[in-house]
Amino acid sequence: MLIDRDTRVLVQGITGREGSFHTRHMLSYGTKIVAGVTPFKGGEYIENIPVYDTVYEAVSNHKIDASIIFVPNTRAVDAIYEAVDNDIKLIVVITEHIPVIDFARSKLYAKSKGARIIGPNCPGIIVPKERALLGIMPDSAFREGRIGIISRSGTLTYEVANSLREYGHSTVIGIGGDPIIGTDLLEAVHMMDNDDDTEEIVVIGEIGGDMEERLAEEYKKGLISKKIVAYIAGLTAPKEKRMGHAGAVVYLGRGTYESKIKALNEAGIKVAKTPYEIKDLL
Amino acid sequence: MKLYEYQGKYIFKRYGINVPNQIDIDSISDKGVKVVVKSQILEGSRGKRGLVRVTDKPLEAIDELKKQGIDKFLIEEYIEHDKELYIALIMNRDKASLSLVSSSNGGVDIESQSSIFIEDISLDRGVKDYDIIKLYKYLKIGRFEQLSALVRALYRIYTDLDCELVEINPLVYKDDFIALDSKIILDDNALFKHSDLLKEISAESKLDRMVRLDGYIGIIGNGAGLTMATMDMVNIYGGKAADFYDIGGGATADEVRSALLEVSSIEGIKAIVINIFGGITRCDEVAEGIVSALDSIDKNIKLYVRLTGTNKELGYKILNDHGIKTYDDVSSMIKACVDANR
Repeated sequence: MLIDRDTRVLVQGITGREGSFHTRHMLSYGTKIVAGVTPFKGGEYIENIPVYDTVYEAVSNHKIDASIIFVPNTRAVDAIYEAVDNDIKLIVVITEHIPVIDFARSKLYAKSKGARIIGPNCPGIIVPKERALLGIMPDSAFREGRIGIISRSGTLTYEVANSLREYGHSTVIGIGGDPIIGTDLLEAVHMMDNDDDTEEIVVIGEIGGDMEERLAEEYKKGLISKKIVAYIAGLTAPKEKRMGHAGAVVYLGRGTYESKIKALNEAGIKVAKTPYEIKDLL
Repeated sequence: MKLYEYQGKYIFKRYGINVPNQIDIDSISDKGVKVVVKSQILEGSRGKRGLVRVTDKPLEAIDELKKQGIDKFLIEEYIEHDKELYIALIMNRDKASLSLVSSSNGGVDIESQSSIFIEDISLDRGVKDYDIIKLYKYLKIGRFEQLSALVRALYRIYTDLDCELVEINPLVYKDDFIALDSKIILDDNALFKHSDLLKEISAESKLDRMVRLDGYIGIIGNGAGLTMATMDMVNIYGGKAADFYDIGGGATADEVRSALLEVSSIEGIKAIVINIFGGITRCDEVAEGIVSALDSIDKNIKLYVRLTGTNKELGYKILNDHGIKTYDDVSSMIKACVDANR
């Protein structure tokens, strides 16, 4: 799903601290990284991967299917536009603290050009069966299997994945903790619903926004066929306080814990009270 | 970052939104002119808490409010009005657009209202006359040009300054629209673009990793989701979380140390739960940070630590060498903590 062992990957921001560290990690996992970009670092190599000044030069020299962005927040949006303009159709944005309105505009642009963004502020995607990792997840928590996980959180994803190791994982996607994200919960669930390797879907949500409520509506209508188990973080979070994630804020009564749980319950989706109880509901 | 009312009104004025005339604190007296004394704090519900006073004895009111610990005031002319309205711009996350939200019943909790006006404005096109005509027909107050100027100013504030929320509640009409209050929340992620403005309104941007809560069990975690889940579990099992502290990804020993010092200095704190899943974060680094803080924190505060992931064994060895008990199972750790610290 989304990526496999043959997906040819570009790393934007490959020479930075995070970019180079995770390039090494993704390569050792099995990801097929073919090129990197950092302006004015063209000609260098990171782990034998050639670095270019622009995405244009990278796509002129390599076939590229997907890009992963580690560019710092002040320039990450430009990196998204650059990937979109060079016809890259899958863009995973790891960078956190990207200005929300700027990202929102880049998302609309990407959509108009047919590109899919995952993130920002996300741990990426891992498909254990394919040994494909486009992200920063610690691979020790994951193994090939039948459970798909979609999460708005980073570390909580690893925690839950780790607790489900006995079942194994088909695809795990961190969709990101920001108010606006490229691929939302519902889209990701539909992808997994259509994925042959996924038998059951675990959704890790949190307060803020109404993605969980919209998922519940679709589920209730019977538009999703696979079993879903959900966990929502933030039961006891105070209102209008940003709980670490920019996306985890409740305004105007939208996206409260109660409204999410109510919607999920009414749709017949089982909700775990703590992340450690998810495995008992599968 | 939430701005104070007076900072928000400074921005309103610059964008042409009417606000009540401000009165210089040195020029006021208790001689019978009705004014509004408004406590400048960032928390809401000031009216309900008696922190906004309509009075002809402002000096007296200020003295009283000072006794309640308020140190910043905004003093304004009193605007006679009958109807209170509400207007705001907020992000529509689903559509990546802005929502123009309004109500002809302002002043009260907007959340509890059934008939509010919501119009989505795509960031691609910006606000247009037809958006405003819809709102004009809903509110049925003032002249169209006046409402148009107001809405366009709000939109420009929102997009120019990278806001999360721009809200006027209450908004009143007296010959023109007047913002009696202001609430502006800036997008923390975009503050780096607006350092000039922040300087101008003397707003300091500081990243607050800790959210204060009112319980007695401290919470430290890495990653927002895991930290929130840990906080929830403490509360679910019958304890009361004192804070939410996310050390973020790849925290150094120093950062862990300062987290521990900050959380342990919360008044009335009895215990601290530390829950870490090491990915980029290294457990030995976390353990070093915990150990280095031990001498500076009250011995009566008990620590409940669970580390897993990168360098877990190293981390546990460091902690156990210093006599700190560690746990493998999060649920039983939190239960133990809650039971021992009722």
